[in-house]
Amino acid sequence: MATKEDLEKFETQVARPADFEEFWQDVLAQVAKIPLEPKISPDSFRSNEDALVSLATFQSLDGLEVATWYCVPAKGEGPFPAIIHLPGYKGEPSIRRDWGAKGVVHLMVSVRGKLRSNSQFNPGYPGLLTHGIESRDTYGYRGVIADCVRGVDFLLSRPEVDSQRIYACGSSQGGGLTLITSALRSEIKGGVSGYPFLCCFPESMKMLRSYPYDELSCYARAYPERVPQMMETLSYYDAVNFVGLIKCPMVVGIAMDDEVCPPETSYAAYKGLGGPKELWLFPNSGHGNAHDYPAKETQWLESQISASLTLGVSR
Amino acid sequence: MTQGGFDEFWDGLDRDLADVDLGLSLEAEGFYSQPEWTVYRMSYNSTDGHRLFAWLSVPHDIAGENTPVLVRMPDYSSVHDIIYTPLRQSAIVMNPTYRGQRNSDALFQASYPGLLTAGLPTGGTPTEDTPTIGIDRHQDYIMRQVFGDALRAVDAVVGQSEFDLGRFVLTGSGLGGSLALAVAARRSVVEAVAADTPLALGHPALIEGNPPYPAAELVDYLRLYPDRSQAVASATEPLNPLLMAPMIRVPVLLSLGSRDRGQCPIAVGEELASLLPQCDLRVYDGASEGGGHEHVQVRGAWLRERLGLG
Repeated sequence: MATKEDLEKFETQVARPADFEEFWQDVLAQVAKIPLEPKISPDSFRSNEDALVSLATFQSLDGLEVATWYCVPAKGEGPFPAIIHLPGYKGEPSIRRDWGAKGVVHLMVSVRGKLRSNSQFNPGYPGLLTHGIESRDTYGYRGVIADCVRGVDFLLSRPEVDSQRIYACGSSQGGGLTLITSALRSEIKGGVSGYPFLCCFPESMKMLRSYPYDELSCYARAYPERVPQMMETLSYYDAVNFVGLIKCPMVVGIAMDDEVCPPETSYAAYKGLGGPKELWLFPNSGHGNAHDYPAKETQWLESQISASLTLGVSR
Repeated sequence: MTQGGFDEFWDGLDRDLADVDLGLSLEAEGFYSQPEWTVYRMSYNSTDGHRLFAWLSVPHDIAGENTPVLVRMPDYSSVHDIIYTPLRQSAIVMNPTYRGQRNSDALFQASYPGLLTAGLPTGGTPTEDTPTIGIDRHQDYIMRQVFGDALRAVDAVVGQSEFDLGRFVLTGSGLGGSLALAVAARRSVVEAVAADTPLALGHPALIEGNPPYPAAELVDYLRLYPDRSQAVASATEPLNPLLMAPMIRVPVLLSLGSRDRGQCPIAVGEELASLLPQCDLRVYDGASEGGGHEHVQVRGAWLRERLGLG
């Protein structure tokens, strides 16, 4: 199990490419040109007394239609604060009707490759982490990140959403995507990143022999001559290269015995955060199983939402 | 449910499986194989024309010498992991899928949420004419076939002729825990089971109150079709792990989490433990599904011992 000292001693070798911001500004510009074309299909089967549930879709990069679970409070009048929830690597996007009971809109994005968003892009699990890794312009995560950005656009397009009170959260890959999306979209006012994946690729693929990072090691073993290009691509997608751009309050939660996302690499992301930050360390916990994490995540988001009301942030 | 009805349900499922040729294929997967073990893509037939997929990992150093086998049953999810347990260094490890999961979805793509009520439309307003498949008739219920696919996975690994098998142990979490218990009740090759918070499908307590998914699927269904509660009960009842428990004669490591509400409520789990002839029950305060990190360590040591890996 890692110690706090281990985390503090760790120095990543990840370097930010000189044209990193330029690259992502270009991607964002390409995304912005695509008509959102939102479609909302109410799901009476899943709706209950707390939330009206819909399967909502929108257009994203490369002409893909991205699906989401969209939960709007069943009671009260909007505009409501909103949470964009970003998914883990292989887990199922969830329907969080419990946020509806709290008067909060919840959007769970099923990024490309996941169920309901995989008709045109379906590299599989394993598979996604190395898909198109030969170039920064073909890497699968370019589209995945665009889908998350597009989720923010979707929330901003909704009259029932308070555009000044949008928050982000997610665990594992969702934790990494929370950091990256918050860096790219200043409309996000705060976030919780649990057990973040996508941090410090060069070290993560060497520190552990568990998937998904092991996909990179398999690729390196199969194509040793392509490793320099792989590392070049990954440098554009490493969350530690994004975190300095985040200005909103952000929490990073780390399990000290995380066997999937090395705690040192998550800490490197925390260390680089550019705005107000909070660190939650969970000793005797592994990937995704810290007992107190779900409750702490909910409480923190609730407190941010309440504070924004007190400060009169709502429009 | 009468004992006769329960036996007929499971005997009928086994008869259905026996009627299908296994059609086993094993294909080495070079990309994911490593210096210490070879990874295979395994395929085999199940009922209703479904072709099922499994990851199989075979260690290099002891393969061919009664190598212990660990089968990790799939949970309620569209994807089952590629094998990453450290036990792959010393044991043959199989991660099988059931119909509807990725790579076993040529004929049926399961929805999440939606597997437990497969066949129901998930959009629009249901009417009296809304079609349903399965849940009202236990012979057609998708979860009967899912449990059949789990039995088929063990038949497949036992039926292959490439490797000599040693001790045979199952593990699984949530739905995977229930699948593991059911297979242990029906297949004598199984020597031990580690089941984490097994999905108490078929037990009335699973759908009491306002549980999260996957149990909430059934609650959603009954909210719209309250008159079908008896049909739902009869469709799911034969899958209740408590009914299978007395037939599981092998050692079982059972974990429960005090905050688990969607898989195995504590009271149900404790009742299950009391019915299992050889149960090592671990209850974790504050843990949810799976039992948490402490149980990961406990289960790892327990599996090593049961597999004979010291």
